[in-house]
Amino acid sequence: MSDAPNQNKGPIARFLAAPPDSVGKTVFIAVSLCLVASMIVSAVSVALRPLQEQNKLKDKQANVLQVAGLFEPGMDVLEGFSVFEPQVVELETGTFTDAFDAATFDDRAAAADPELSVRLSDDPAGIGRQTKFATVYLLRNDDGSLDKVILPIHGYGLWSTLYGFIALEENGNDIFGLQFYDHGETPGLGAEVDNPRWKTLWGGKKLADEDGSLQITVAKSVPPAGVDYHVDALAGATLTSVGVDNLVRFWMGEAGFGPFLENLKSGGI
Amino acid sequence: MAQTKRDLLVDPLVDNNPITLQVLGICSALAVTSSLQVAFVMALAVTAVTGFSSMFISVLRNQIPGSIRIIVQMVIIASLVIIVDQVLKAYAYEISKTLSVFVGLIITNCIVMGRAEAFAMKNPPIDSFIDGVGNGLGYGALLLVVGFIRELFGAGSLFGVTILPTVNNGGWYVPNGMLLLPPSAFFIIGLLIWAVRAWKPEQVEKREYKIQVVEGH
Amino acid sequence: MGLRNFFDRIEPHFVKGGKYEKLFPIYEMVESFIYTPKAVTKAAPHARSYVDMKRIMTYVVIATIPCIIMGLYNVGLQVNSAYETIDPSGWRAWIISLLGIGFDASNPLANFAHGLLYFLPIYITTLVVGGIWEVLFATVRGHEVNEGFLVTSMLFALIMPPAAPLWQVALGISFGVVIGKEVFGGTGKNFLNPALTGRAFLYFAYPANMSGDTIWTPVDGFSGATALSIGASQGYQELAANGMNWMNSFVGTVQGSIGEVSALACLIGLAFLLITKIANWRLVVGCMAGMIGFSLLLNVIGSDTNPMFAMPWYWHFVVGGFAFGMVFMVTEPVSASHTNMGRYIYGALIGFMVVMIRVINPAFPEGMMLAILFGNVFAPLIDYFVVQANIKRRARRNV
Repeated sequence: MSDAPNQNKGPIARFLAAPPDSVGKTVFIAVSLCLVASMIVSAVSVALRPLQEQNKLKDKQANVLQVAGLFEPGMDVLEGFSVFEPQVVELETGTFTDAFDAATFDDRAAAADPELSVRLSDDPAGIGRQTKFATVYLLRNDDGSLDKVILPIHGYGLWSTLYGFIALEENGNDIFGLQFYDHGETPGLGAEVDNPRWKTLWGGKKLADEDGSLQITVAKSVPPAGVDYHVDALAGATLTSVGVDNLVRFWMGEAGFGPFLENLKSGGI
Repeated sequence: MAQTKRDLLVDPLVDNNPITLQVLGICSALAVTSSLQVAFVMALAVTAVTGFSSMFISVLRNQIPGSIRIIVQMVIIASLVIIVDQVLKAYAYEISKTLSVFVGLIITNCIVMGRAEAFAMKNPPIDSFIDGVGNGLGYGALLLVVGFIRELFGAGSLFGVTILPTVNNGGWYVPNGMLLLPPSAFFIIGLLIWAVRAWKPEQVEKREYKIQVVEGH
Repeated sequence: MGLRNFFDRIEPHFVKGGKYEKLFPIYEMVESFIYTPKAVTKAAPHARSYVDMKRIMTYVVIATIPCIIMGLYNVGLQVNSAYETIDPSGWRAWIISLLGIGFDASNPLANFAHGLLYFLPIYITTLVVGGIWEVLFATVRGHEVNEGFLVTSMLFALIMPPAAPLWQVALGISFGVVIGKEVFGGTGKNFLNPALTGRAFLYFAYPANMSGDTIWTPVDGFSGATALSIGASQGYQELAANGMNWMNSFVGTVQGSIGEVSALACLIGLAFLLITKIANWRLVVGCMAGMIGFSLLLNVIGSDTNPMFAMPWYWHFVVGGFAFGMVFMVTEPVSASHTNMGRYIYGALIGFMVVMIRVINPAFPEGMMLAILFGNVFAPLIDYFVVQANIKRRARRNV
């Protein structure tokens, strides 16, 4: 049977029995394999896209919840997050803008967009380009008055850019908490920015003194302004601590959220 | 070939382990073993890819033209890897963030290509599938051992659950920071290879040279 | 010679076929420690010299004595000075007061005694733990316990910060002996310096205990940075403001690892090693040249943001572990290059890398340890090229 003539078989069987190395078959296999593979891959990708998008959103929202002290393991992030009111702030004026949809505005993409960002000449936080607009999250009390405001911050540490949020009380001066969600600092030293015990040091500190000048400092020793403005540096991680110090001071200063915080204090929000 | 299906599955676990004996797939073993959870997911992902890629390649083995053989294998493997990556992003987002680029790099994992080329091209689909799964598990087993050591002594936890409370969190254990850095996996894998070869001396390679004593004259 | 008779009498138990055959390495260790080793070369070429492995190793240990003395004095000095403002506590303080020595920082003897109480536990731990590994491997493999370990343990203890926890010391020397030496087959076959391997392990594993500003003076609540970390953050010109001038860095009354602080003591050790021809002067010349050359280059280039660029070579020489590393580790014969030309290159590579790591890498203010390990890795390659170049040159001559 093995040497049965081909005329007894259909076209498919004939094709399968043909030697694989013929030019026609090589081309056919290559093309059909590519088609099948690309179809499968794109089908999977399209089918899973909504879930992935939701995951990304959830991840960011979970971080906002954490810095506001509202996160509990196992909670429904989307529902928990609905208490926040996202707003896009124009940094230069410190006012809200309606030019973008706050729910979908992407700060990181905006920082890379020449239209929406500026190249910094004075760049203590080491971020290169700074976005002109940033998404902030407002948390309101039941009566509609402001409770907390959560601001995105980022800057360069020792090896990497640290991305995080800082949560402020309604007066725009008292710190409620600080949290980094993305960084690549040295495990055991700089990566201790994630340490819960270090993070609690931020609670209750103040940004600026009565005269309104920015005093918050991350350092080993207490600055002249006093303990209210001092967060102890990470042991053994001088450069990461300096980076955090720089980035917090940068974002809370004139070039960052300064104007916005002014508005907040004067009750303009 | 007198290998039973059981041999195909069990052999790569210790006797023919892709990492300790063949020293393949080291790069990803360094990168993804800093915590058990990540190592576990990576092990599953690699097992799935080696198993299914071997199976599909074996199904097509008589039709694949020799001249574009490697590319065909790559296409199949790459498609599977992308699917795995997409699934992880959809259903295990946190872990896929830590795995990041290393899921994509399963494509370049020598174990997958090695099994496709060395076994699946010559054997029927079921055997190839089992062989692929066996090798994936062999890789995964080592990943888990390394991950266990690194997470337990590097962070004082297993699967994220605190076992040894660390000093920074008010406990007594001083975590070994080097275990959280990728190079530590080199040492651990090296010591494991040493241990396995001390246990099974037949795995030791022949010496490539011998120092000769020159007789005095 | 009752002792000789004793050894001769018990020896049959330990040689092949004897009762304690497996324990031969231990017997051999004790015996050759007291007498000279019996193993002599059987094949040509012979080098006729009184120098043997044991003598080399003993000389290196002798050469570290000035560093030990200065180191102990300095540790005590730092602690006692700190006790002027902070109340003494801990078992060491208890012993000191029990002996009635006191905490007077101006009394060298009191300082020395206090330093000894810090150094001895570290050194004893190193000896015991490292010794156990050494004997274990020697027993399993049936080779002799090597005196090289005495050098390794002494050097390892001297590059520890005085406040190092003893369990970390034990872990570090274990890693150094096992990974740095035994996996490659033992003394003579290792290409890394075991003491430095152990130190590097600790540096990456427990960075909080191996760097920073609270570990150099082992007093709770006292912090004092090393010259290098001050230099990196504020510039070397600021060192004076922190009580460090070139002279006391040279003599060694500043913060630092136990034995590394005094460049002066290291130079005395160097003189001894050079006179006895244990150390090869080419390594030292290469290392100094590499360091001086590259730091001068960086001085010229300059930098607005990195104050370390401006540090002159004579400061690089006295701060951190440069002098100690150059004298005792660069010159270590096993892990250095073995050709004369290679020695210059090897030394220069290390000198260059030290300055490179200290100045340009912000995370590692101390670069000597990493630079030497880096050099160790390259030593065989350097030798290879030197030998190849030589072969080519000679082949050309005979065309």
